[in-house]
Amino acid sequence: MKALYPALLALGLALPDAVAAADYTVQPATSTLGFAGTFQGAGFSGKFDKWTAVISYDAAHLAASKFDVTVDLSSAKTGDKDRDTALPGADFFNIAKFPQAHFVTTGFRQAGAQVLVDGNLTLHGVTKPVTLNVTFKPQGAGAVLDVSGSLKRLDFGVGGGDYADTSVIAADVKVTAHLQLAAK
Amino acid sequence: MSLRNDRRRWGSIARFFHWIMALAIIGNGVFGLLMDLAHGPMQKINWLALHKSIGLTVLALFLLRLLWRLIDRRPPDEPGPRWQQLAAHGVHGLLYLLIAAIPLSGWWFNSVAGKPLQWFKLFNLPPLAAKNEDLADTVFAVHEYLFWFLVAVLVVHVGAALKHHVFDKDNVLRRMMPFGRPRP
Repeated sequence: MKALYPALLALGLALPDAVAAADYTVQPATSTLGFAGTFQGAGFSGKFDKWTAVISYDAAHLAASKFDVTVDLSSAKTGDKDRDTALPGADFFNIAKFPQAHFVTTGFRQAGAQVLVDGNLTLHGVTKPVTLNVTFKPQGAGAVLDVSGSLKRLDFGVGGGDYADTSVIAADVKVTAHLQLAAK
Repeated sequence: MSLRNDRRRWGSIARFFHWIMALAIIGNGVFGLLMDLAHGPMQKINWLALHKSIGLTVLALFLLRLLWRLIDRRPPDEPGPRWQQLAAHGVHGLLYLLIAAIPLSGWWFNSVAGKPLQWFKLFNLPPLAAKNEDLADTVFAVHEYLFWFLVAVLVVHVGAALKHHVFDKDNVLRRMMPFGRPRP
Protein backbone atom coordinates (compact mmCIF):
# COMPACT_ATOMS: atom_id res chain seq x y z
CA MET A 1 0.00 0.00 0.00
CA LYS A 2 2.82 2.36 0.95
CA ALA A 3 4.36 1.84 -2.46
CA LEU A 4 1.25 3.30 -3.97
CA TYR A 5 1.60 6.65 -2.21
CA PRO A 6 4.08 8.15 -4.63
CA ALA A 7 1.97 7.02 -7.49
CA LEU A 8 -1.14 8.51 -5.93
CA LEU A 9 0.74 11.69 -5.16
CA ALA A 10 1.96 11.89 -8.73
CA LEU A 11 -1.57 11.35 -9.97
CA GLY A 12 -2.85 14.01 -7.60
CA LEU A 13 -0.29 16.48 -8.91
CA ALA A 14 -0.86 15.48 -12.48
CA LEU A 15 -4.61 15.80 -12.32
CA PRO A 16 -4.76 19.58 -12.55
CA ASP A 17 -2.60 19.34 -15.66
CA ALA A 18 -5.40 17.55 -17.35
CA VAL A 19 -7.35 20.76 -17.01
CA ALA A 20 -6.44 23.10 -19.84
CA ALA A 21 -5.55 26.65 -18.89
CA ALA A 22 -7.60 29.39 -20.50
CA ASP A 23 -6.38 30.75 -23.82
CA TYR A 24 -6.26 34.48 -24.33
CA THR A 25 -5.84 36.85 -27.20
CA VAL A 26 -3.57 39.85 -26.73
CA GLN A 27 -5.18 43.23 -27.39
CA PRO A 28 -2.32 44.91 -29.23
CA ALA A 29 -3.57 48.50 -28.94
CA THR A 30 -3.43 48.47 -25.15
CA SER A 31 -0.55 46.06 -24.61
CA THR A 32 3.11 47.00 -24.42
CA LEU A 33 6.40 45.17 -24.41
CA GLY A 34 9.16 47.39 -23.12
CA PHE A 35 12.72 47.40 -21.88
CA ALA A 36 14.83 49.76 -19.84
CA GLY A 37 18.55 50.17 -19.56
CA THR A 38 21.14 52.62 -18.32
CA PHE A 39 23.52 54.59 -20.52
CA GLN A 40 26.12 56.90 -18.95
CA GLY A 41 24.32 56.83 -15.64
CA ALA A 42 20.96 57.82 -17.08
CA GLY A 43 18.05 55.47 -17.48
CA PHE A 44 16.34 55.09 -20.82
CA SER A 45 13.37 53.04 -21.85
CA GLY A 46 12.17 51.62 -25.09
CA LYS A 47 9.50 49.42 -26.50
CA PHE A 48 8.90 46.94 -29.26
CA ASP A 49 6.13 47.88 -31.65
CA LYS A 50 5.85 44.45 -33.25
CA TRP A 51 5.51 41.25 -31.25
CA THR A 52 3.06 38.42 -30.78
CA ALA A 53 2.23 36.36 -27.73
CA VAL A 54 0.33 33.14 -27.29
CA ILE A 55 -0.97 33.12 -23.72
CA SER A 56 -2.57 30.23 -21.85
CA TYR A 57 -2.92 30.91 -18.18
CA ASP A 58 -4.79 29.65 -15.20
CA ALA A 59 -3.66 30.75 -11.75
CA ALA A 60 -5.12 27.59 -10.29
CA HIS A 61 -3.42 25.33 -12.85
CA LEU A 62 0.00 26.85 -13.32
CA ALA A 63 1.42 23.65 -14.75
CA ALA A 64 -0.96 23.92 -17.69
CA SER A 65 -0.11 27.56 -18.33
CA LYS A 66 2.15 28.64 -21.14
CA PHE A 67 3.52 31.83 -22.73
CA ASP A 68 5.08 31.89 -26.14
CA VAL A 69 6.31 35.31 -27.25
CA THR A 70 7.97 36.30 -30.51
CA VAL A 71 9.46 39.77 -30.84
CA ASP A 72 10.38 41.57 -34.05
CA LEU A 73 13.65 43.18 -32.95
CA SER A 74 13.64 45.72 -35.77
CA SER A 75 10.66 47.36 -34.06
CA ALA A 76 12.65 48.54 -31.02
CA LYS A 77 12.28 52.27 -30.34
CA THR A 78 13.88 54.24 -27.52
CA GLY A 79 13.32 57.80 -28.70
CA ASP A 80 17.00 58.51 -29.30
CA LYS A 81 18.14 58.73 -32.91
CA ASP A 82 21.67 57.42 -32.30
CA ARG A 83 20.53 54.56 -30.10
CA ASP A 84 17.72 53.52 -32.42
CA THR A 85 20.18 53.45 -35.30
CA ALA A 86 22.66 51.38 -33.31
CA LEU A 87 20.22 48.83 -31.83
CA PRO A 88 19.43 46.87 -35.02
CA GLY A 89 23.09 46.90 -36.05
CA ALA A 90 25.64 44.11 -35.88
CA ASP A 91 26.95 45.28 -32.49
CA PHE A 92 23.59 44.93 -30.75
CA PHE A 93 20.57 42.92 -31.98
CA ASN A 94 22.12 42.18 -35.37
CA ILE A 95 18.69 41.90 -36.96
CA ALA A 96 20.19 41.00 -40.35
CA LYS A 97 21.15 37.67 -38.79
CA PHE A 98 18.73 37.40 -35.86
CA PRO A 99 15.54 39.27 -36.73
CA GLN A 100 13.49 37.86 -33.87
CA ALA A 101 13.69 37.12 -30.19
CA HIS A 102 11.68 34.25 -28.79
CA PHE A 103 10.58 33.45 -25.26
CA VAL A 104 8.84 30.23 -24.35
CA THR A 105 7.97 29.16 -20.83
CA THR A 106 9.21 25.95 -19.32
CA GLY A 107 7.32 26.17 -16.04
CA PHE A 108 5.56 28.36 -13.51
CA ARG A 109 6.25 28.47 -9.77
CA GLN A 110 4.47 29.95 -6.82
CA ALA A 111 6.96 31.80 -4.59
CA GLY A 112 4.99 33.12 -1.66
CA ALA A 113 2.42 35.52 -3.07
CA GLN A 114 4.43 35.90 -6.26
CA VAL A 115 4.21 33.74 -9.36
CA LEU A 116 7.50 33.19 -11.17
CA VAL A 117 7.83 31.91 -14.67
CA ASP A 118 10.88 30.10 -15.96
CA GLY A 119 11.49 30.06 -19.66
CA ASN A 120 14.03 30.06 -22.41
CA LEU A 121 14.82 33.30 -24.13
CA THR A 122 16.47 33.21 -27.52
CA LEU A 123 18.03 36.55 -28.37
CA HIS A 124 20.89 37.38 -30.71
CA GLY A 125 21.29 33.67 -31.46
CA VAL A 126 21.80 32.76 -27.79
CA THR A 127 19.27 30.72 -25.79
CA LYS A 128 19.39 31.07 -22.00
CA PRO A 129 16.96 30.36 -19.19
CA VAL A 130 15.40 33.45 -17.61
CA THR A 131 12.98 33.88 -14.73
CA LEU A 132 10.32 36.58 -14.74
CA ASN A 133 7.64 37.78 -12.33
CA VAL A 134 4.02 37.26 -13.29
CA THR A 135 1.02 39.27 -12.11
CA PHE A 136 -2.26 38.11 -13.51
CA LYS A 137 -5.49 39.91 -12.74
CA PRO A 138 -8.77 38.67 -14.21
CA GLN A 139 -10.77 41.55 -15.60
CA GLY A 140 -14.23 40.94 -16.96
CA ALA A 141 -14.04 38.19 -19.54
CA GLY A 142 -10.32 38.81 -19.98
CA ALA A 143 -7.37 39.69 -17.82
CA VAL A 144 -4.45 42.01 -17.33
CA LEU A 145 -1.09 40.27 -17.35
CA ASP A 146 2.08 42.00 -16.20
CA VAL A 147 5.40 40.27 -16.61
CA SER A 148 8.70 41.77 -15.55
CA GLY A 149 12.26 40.74 -14.98
CA SER A 150 15.86 41.60 -15.51
CA LEU A 151 18.32 40.27 -18.08
CA LYS A 152 22.06 40.57 -18.38
CA ARG A 153 22.57 41.90 -21.90
CA LEU A 154 26.03 40.33 -22.17
CA ASP A 155 24.58 36.85 -21.47
CA PHE A 156 23.09 37.21 -24.92
CA GLY A 157 26.02 39.05 -26.47
CA VAL A 158 23.96 42.21 -27.01
CA GLY A 159 26.43 45.07 -27.20
CA GLY A 160 29.61 43.02 -27.15
CA GLY A 161 33.09 44.05 -28.22
CA ASP A 162 33.67 47.75 -27.55
CA TYR A 163 30.16 48.02 -26.15
CA ALA A 164 30.77 45.39 -23.45
CA ASP A 165 31.95 48.17 -21.09
CA THR A 166 29.22 48.07 -18.46
CA SER A 167 30.44 51.34 -16.93
CA VAL A 168 29.01 53.01 -20.04
CA ILE A 169 26.11 50.71 -20.93
CA ALA A 170 24.87 48.95 -17.80
CA ALA A 171 24.78 45.16 -17.70
CA ASP A 172 21.18 44.86 -16.56
CA VAL A 173 18.25 45.43 -18.83
CA LYS A 174 14.77 45.39 -17.36
CA VAL A 175 12.01 43.87 -19.40
CA THR A 176 8.38 44.67 -18.77
CA ALA A 177 5.29 43.45 -20.54
CA HIS A 178 1.81 44.75 -19.93
CA LEU A 179 -0.79 42.67 -21.73
CA GLN A 180 -4.45 43.33 -22.02
CA LEU A 181 -5.99 39.92 -22.62
CA ALA A 182 -9.35 38.94 -24.05
CA ALA A 183 -10.71 35.46 -23.50
CA LYS A 184 -10.68 33.36 -26.63
CA MET B 1 55.09 82.06 -2.38
CA SER B 2 51.98 83.70 -1.05
CA LEU B 3 48.59 82.10 -1.55
CA ARG B 4 47.05 85.51 -1.92
CA ASN B 5 47.83 88.24 -4.39
CA ASP B 6 50.19 90.96 -3.29
CA ARG B 7 51.05 94.30 -4.88
CA ARG B 8 53.74 92.85 -7.13
CA ARG B 9 52.36 89.51 -8.25
CA TRP B 10 49.43 87.15 -8.43
CA GLY B 11 49.13 84.75 -5.48
CA SER B 12 49.61 81.03 -6.01
CA ILE B 13 45.87 80.36 -5.93
CA ALA B 14 45.17 82.87 -8.69
CA ARG B 15 48.11 81.49 -10.67
CA PHE B 16 46.88 77.93 -10.14
CA PHE B 17 43.43 78.84 -11.48
CA HIS B 18 44.97 80.65 -14.44
CA TRP B 19 47.27 77.89 -15.62
CA ILE B 20 45.21 74.82 -14.81
CA MET B 21 42.28 76.40 -16.65
CA ALA B 22 44.48 77.48 -19.56
CA LEU B 23 45.65 73.89 -19.90
CA ALA B 24 42.16 72.42 -19.57
CA ILE B 25 40.54 74.93 -21.95
CA ILE B 26 43.15 74.70 -24.71
CA GLY B 27 43.46 70.92 -24.30
CA ASN B 28 39.70 70.39 -24.32
CA GLY B 29 39.29 72.75 -27.28
CA VAL B 30 41.79 70.80 -29.37
CA PHE B 31 40.28 67.54 -28.12
CA GLY B 32 36.84 68.73 -29.19
CA LEU B 33 38.08 69.47 -32.70
CA LEU B 34 39.61 65.99 -32.96
CA MET B 35 36.42 64.10 -32.00
CA ASP B 36 35.87 62.80 -35.51
CA LEU B 37 39.18 60.94 -35.40
CA ALA B 38 37.72 58.45 -32.91
CA HIS B 39 37.86 54.85 -34.04
CA GLY B 40 34.29 53.67 -33.97
CA PRO B 41 31.23 54.96 -32.16
CA MET B 42 32.13 53.61 -28.71
CA GLN B 43 35.46 55.43 -28.67
CA LYS B 44 33.63 58.56 -29.75
CA ILE B 45 31.13 58.07 -26.91
CA ASN B 46 34.03 57.78 -24.45
CA TRP B 47 35.92 60.73 -25.91
CA LEU B 48 32.80 62.89 -25.82
CA ALA B 49 32.17 61.83 -22.22
CA LEU B 50 35.70 62.92 -21.35
CA HIS B 51 35.31 66.19 -23.27
CA LYS B 52 32.09 66.92 -21.36
CA SER B 53 33.67 66.02 -18.02
CA ILE B 54 36.63 68.34 -18.64
CA GLY B 55 34.27 71.10 -19.78
CA LEU B 56 32.20 70.77 -16.62
CA THR B 57 35.41 70.87 -14.59
CA VAL B 58 36.35 74.14 -16.29
CA LEU B 59 32.93 75.52 -15.42
CA ALA B 60 33.32 74.48 -11.78
CA LEU B 61 36.85 75.93 -11.63
CA PHE B 62 35.52 79.13 -13.16
CA LEU B 63 32.94 79.51 -10.39
CA LEU B 64 35.57 78.88 -7.72
CA ARG B 65 37.90 81.32 -9.45
CA LEU B 66 35.22 83.98 -9.54
CA LEU B 67 34.59 83.43 -5.84
CA TRP B 68 38.31 83.69 -5.08
CA ARG B 69 38.50 86.81 -7.18
CA LEU B 70 35.87 88.40 -4.93
CA ILE B 71 37.84 87.45 -1.81
CA ASP B 72 41.33 88.19 -3.06
CA ARG B 73 41.98 91.70 -4.41
CA ARG B 74 43.83 91.67 -7.72
CA PRO B 75 47.26 93.31 -7.88
CA PRO B 76 47.20 96.88 -9.18
CA ASP B 77 47.81 97.34 -12.91
CA GLU B 78 51.39 97.49 -14.07
CA PRO B 79 52.37 100.99 -15.21
CA GLY B 80 51.44 101.63 -18.83
CA PRO B 81 49.16 103.62 -21.08
CA ARG B 82 45.60 103.87 -19.81
CA TRP B 83 44.14 102.48 -23.04
CA GLN B 84 46.26 99.34 -22.69
CA GLN B 85 45.07 98.82 -19.13
CA LEU B 86 41.46 99.24 -20.24
CA ALA B 87 41.98 96.93 -23.21
CA ALA B 88 43.54 94.31 -20.94
CA HIS B 89 40.56 94.47 -18.56
CA GLY B 90 38.17 94.28 -21.49
CA VAL B 91 39.93 91.18 -22.80
CA HIS B 92 39.89 89.61 -19.33
CA GLY B 93 36.16 90.27 -19.00
CA LEU B 94 35.56 88.73 -22.41
CA LEU B 95 37.66 85.70 -21.46
CA TYR B 96 35.66 85.20 -18.28
CA LEU B 97 32.45 85.45 -20.27
CA LEU B 98 33.61 82.88 -22.81
CA ILE B 99 35.05 80.53 -20.18
CA ALA B 100 31.53 80.28 -18.74
CA ALA B 101 29.60 80.44 -22.02
CA ILE B 102 31.46 77.67 -23.85
CA PRO B 103 30.84 74.88 -21.32
CA LEU B 104 27.29 76.16 -20.77
CA SER B 105 26.61 76.07 -24.51
CA GLY B 106 28.01 72.53 -24.58
CA TRP B 107 25.70 71.60 -21.73
CA TRP B 108 22.82 73.24 -23.60
CA PHE B 109 23.70 71.32 -26.78
CA ASN B 110 23.87 68.08 -24.82
CA SER B 111 20.43 68.85 -23.35
CA VAL B 112 18.64 69.60 -26.62
CA ALA B 113 20.28 66.53 -28.17
CA GLY B 114 18.76 64.53 -25.32
CA LYS B 115 22.03 62.95 -24.18
CA PRO B 116 22.98 62.06 -20.62
CA LEU B 117 25.55 64.25 -18.91
CA GLN B 118 27.88 62.47 -16.56
CA TRP B 119 30.94 63.81 -14.77
CA PHE B 120 33.79 61.31 -15.07
CA LYS B 121 31.30 58.42 -14.65
CA LEU B 122 30.66 59.60 -11.07
CA PHE B 123 27.38 61.50 -11.15
CA ASN B 124 24.90 62.90 -13.61
CA LEU B 125 23.79 66.47 -14.14
CA PRO B 126 20.29 67.51 -15.22
CA PRO B 127 19.57 68.94 -18.67
CA LEU B 128 19.50 72.74 -19.04
CA ALA B 129 16.71 72.58 -21.60
CA ALA B 130 14.14 70.15 -22.93
CA LYS B 131 15.16 67.77 -25.69
CA ASN B 132 14.70 69.41 -29.08
CA GLU B 133 16.64 67.74 -31.86
CA ASP B 134 15.67 70.44 -34.38
CA LEU B 135 17.61 72.92 -32.29
CA ALA B 136 20.68 70.71 -31.82
CA ASP B 137 22.62 71.80 -34.93
CA THR B 138 22.11 75.47 -34.14
CA VAL B 139 23.20 75.10 -30.52
CA PHE B 140 26.20 73.08 -31.60
CA ALA B 141 27.16 75.90 -33.99
CA VAL B 142 26.90 78.34 -31.06
CA HIS B 143 29.21 76.09 -29.01
CA GLU B 144 31.74 75.94 -31.85
CA TYR B 145 31.63 79.63 -32.84
CA LEU B 146 32.07 80.65 -29.20
CA PHE B 147 35.20 78.50 -29.16
CA TRP B 148 36.60 80.19 -32.28
CA PHE B 149 35.79 83.55 -30.75
CA LEU B 150 37.74 82.44 -27.67
CA VAL B 151 40.68 81.49 -29.90
CA ALA B 152 40.64 84.99 -31.38
CA VAL B 153 40.50 86.64 -27.93
CA LEU B 154 43.30 84.34 -26.73
CA VAL B 155 45.50 85.48 -29.60
CA VAL B 156 45.15 89.04 -28.29
CA HIS B 157 45.61 87.96 -24.63
CA VAL B 158 48.69 85.79 -25.26
CA GLY B 159 50.07 88.21 -27.83
CA ALA B 160 49.83 91.11 -25.39
CA ALA B 161 51.42 89.09 -22.57
CA LEU B 162 54.33 88.12 -24.83
CA LYS B 163 54.70 91.69 -26.08
CA HIS B 164 55.01 92.88 -22.47
CA HIS B 165 57.50 90.14 -21.66
CA VAL B 166 59.69 90.29 -24.75
CA PHE B 167 59.55 93.91 -25.86
CA ASP B 168 58.56 95.92 -22.79
CA LYS B 169 60.49 93.57 -20.44
CA ASP B 170 58.02 94.36 -17.67
CA ASN B 171 56.29 92.28 -15.02
CA VAL B 172 52.91 91.70 -16.70
CA LEU B 173 53.67 88.09 -17.64
CA ARG B 174 56.22 87.37 -14.93
CA ARG B 175 53.80 88.11 -12.12
CA MET B 176 51.49 85.40 -13.48
CA MET B 177 54.20 82.83 -14.26
CA PRO B 178 53.92 79.64 -12.18
CA PHE B 179 57.47 79.67 -10.84
CA GLY B 180 58.97 82.95 -12.05
CA ARG B 181 59.79 85.88 -9.82
CA PRO B 182 58.81 89.43 -10.58
CA ARG B 183 61.60 91.61 -11.88
CA PRO B 184 63.00 93.87 -9.18
